[in-house]
Amino acid sequence: MNIEWYLVVSALVFCIGAGGILVRRNPLVILLCLELMLNAGNLALVAFARAHGNQDGQIFALVVMVVAACEVAVGLGLIVAIYRRRLPIDVDELRELQG
Amino acid sequence: MSLQTYGWLVLLFPLGGTVLIALTWSVLPWKLHGYLGTLAIFLSFLCAVGALFELQDRGEEERQVVTVAWDYANTVGVDAQLSLLLDPLSVFMALVVSGISTLIHLYSVSYMASDRGYTRFFAYLNYFVFSMLLLVLAGNFFFLIVGWAFVGAASYLLISFWYRRTTATAAGIKAFVINVVGDVGLVLGTYFIFKRTGSLDFLRAFEGVQEFSRNEGDLVAGCLLLLVGAFAKSAQVPLHTWLPDAMEGPTPVSALIHAATMVTAGVYLIARMHPFFEQAPAAADVGAILGCATLLIAASIGLVVTDLKRVIAYSTMSQIGYMVMGVCSAAYAAGLFHLMTHAFFKALLFMAAGSVIAAMAGEQNLDRMGGFRRAMPFTFGCMVIGGLALAGVPPFAGFFSKDEILSLVIAREDWHVVLGVLGFVGSLLTAIYTWRMIFRAFFNEPVEQAHELEHGHLYHAPEHTNPATGEVEDTDVGFPGPDHHIAEREWSMKVAMALLAVGAVFAGVLQIPKVTDVLHTFLEPSFHDSRYYESLEPSDGLTWIGLAVGALLALSGIALAYRLWVQDRARPGAIRARLAAVHGFLVRKWYFDELIDAVVVRPFAWFGRFARDVFERVVVNGIVVGGPTGAVRAGSAAVRAVQSGFLRYYAALLLVGVTGLGLYFLIAAS
Repeated sequence: MNIEWYLVVSALVFCIGAGGILVRRNPLVILLCLELMLNAGNLALVAFARAHGNQDGQIFALVVMVVAACEVAVGLGLIVAIYRRRLPIDVDELRELQG
Repeated sequence: MSLQTYGWLVLLFPLGGTVLIALTWSVLPWKLHGYLGTLAIFLSFLCAVGALFELQDRGEEERQVVTVAWDYANTVGVDAQLSLLLDPLSVFMALVVSGISTLIHLYSVSYMASDRGYTRFFAYLNYFVFSMLLLVLAGNFFFLIVGWAFVGAASYLLISFWYRRTTATAAGIKAFVINVVGDVGLVLGTYFIFKRTGSLDFLRAFEGVQEFSRNEGDLVAGCLLLLVGAFAKSAQVPLHTWLPDAMEGPTPVSALIHAATMVTAGVYLIARMHPFFEQAPAAADVGAILGCATLLIAASIGLVVTDLKRVIAYSTMSQIGYMVMGVCSAAYAAGLFHLMTHAFFKALLFMAAGSVIAAMAGEQNLDRMGGFRRAMPFTFGCMVIGGLALAGVPPFAGFFSKDEILSLVIAREDWHVVLGVLGFVGSLLTAIYTWRMIFRAFFNEPVEQAHELEHGHLYHAPEHTNPATGEVEDTDVGFPGPDHHIAEREWSMKVAMALLAVGAVFAGVLQIPKVTDVLHTFLEPSFHDSRYYESLEPSDGLTWIGLAVGALLALSGIALAYRLWVQDRARPGAIRARLAAVHGFLVRKWYFDELIDAVVVRPFAWFGRFARDVFERVVVNGIVVGGPTGAVRAGSAAVRAVQSGFLRYYAALLLVGVTGLGLYFLIAAS
């Protein structure tokens, strides 16, 4: 099977994630979109590993998963903190730190 | 002790007095500071006497001694040493300054006794004497300039001593500014002389005077600039306007600074710089003519002024005009002789005036005075002695000194004769205005204050007012305290005035024409390089005619004043009404204040406004400062606009940026 198809799917998923981040205002959905982008990257890494025939890309994909897990933990923590302080769950409203 | 030690001690005592009083003002009882200050100056006077004896013990040729404490700076040809020049001239000046100052300190011990600033006053007064002694003893231009500037500062401090009086602070600022103009003149004049002679040291610079050809441009410019300095300090036309205003200071200050010592610094400077002035007769002539103009202008103003102290102030200007005319016409010994006798009788007149002002509870207007003769016999006596000496009645001191100047000026021949004759006119005016003041203050019907004093009660004003403006002021920093002190009741004032009166009567003995020649012989070593000192001598006939005319003018002036202000008292009013234009012109002081205002102050104020409105606001603020700040501000505004706070916007920027970069590398790689 040709590697292009994997990369096309990966790019498609990445663009869906990026587009989601740009259009959605709910931080929870933004976080989900972020996960999409990371996993698109993972898909590409694994595909390249297969194409090259060594395991480096797979190891790297595992590291990305760990980072993604950490990021989700922090992001969800933030969202819970926002919710607890009765602030709007809307990234456009949360702009007090603007320059 | 050696001459050098005496010389340094003369300086050390007043300096020590200043520091001691300034540091212990809160520790020692306040009354003690007056005596401490007086003692310091008295010790300085004794050292000056010691220096005089040491000097006289030396041979004629060895009477110019330079003593160097240390090199302050010695670089690229400038040798600024802390050195004193001890010669007859400087010792003579030191004697006059410290001697008169001792008596004025003594007078102030009582006169200022109830002033809240008593200790401050004596610290300033000591500082002033130190500065003045530094000025006269300095052995080089560097030291001279330091003393010169110190004296100006001390004068400022003392004129605005009553710092809540707006008129006093304004007068202090005026005096300081005009004095700084003089300082600049002195420094620039020094530069011109230093440029050619290559030495700041007096004696070496004097030797270098042969470098200059007669009336050479550089030298004339230097001497004229020195004259600017001398004229500012000595209140000569046109830099004189500060002196009458300086009468805002306490009366002892007027006596010390604005009569006896500081204002004579200019005369001393010209006498000291005589080698230069003799090589640049053009500058000396300018000085002589302006001195003559000053003596007439000041005397004419003195005729109409109604403020007791200002009458004496104008007479000071006028008398210093005589001295300047004298020393600029090479009558050095005569000019310095008049300086000494003037110090005696002018300090005496000021002290007597201070006593009268105290009896009037701060009032200085002659129109409100009268009849103090019986109430204040001692003050009256002193005033009469001072007045006779000032008017030049034989055998009082002023008679010999003034006439010697005039006869020597006439002996210079040519157009100097005109100056001498104008000087005689001035001496008639002197007699009239002096005795106008005395007759108006002491004769005629006693005023209420004089009546009270005759019954043993010193008048106190219900509330103290500024004599110049009539504003109510507090006695803490106003007229010397809530209590007043008159000479009749205070021993220290009496002693000081009595000693000065003795000086005013007998000082003339030093230099009676054709009889005694003490001062001339004594000062000779300082003027050994002078072209005129020995040769310039009036003929016998001229001397006697001068003396006779001088005496006659003085007596007729007094008689005229008696007629006008005692016998026929309606007459002055009638004359004033007939000559209203002249009177107005004199009352406005020849419009000198207005002239200086129009010629100097307004153009400079206009220039200042122009600089502020156009240069500062448009060029500096608009272009030099505004350009870079505008660029930074615009840049930061753009950067700030990016920081919108919208998370999605940041993400979009990031994506666009990363995509852009990726595309760039892709295109670059293919």
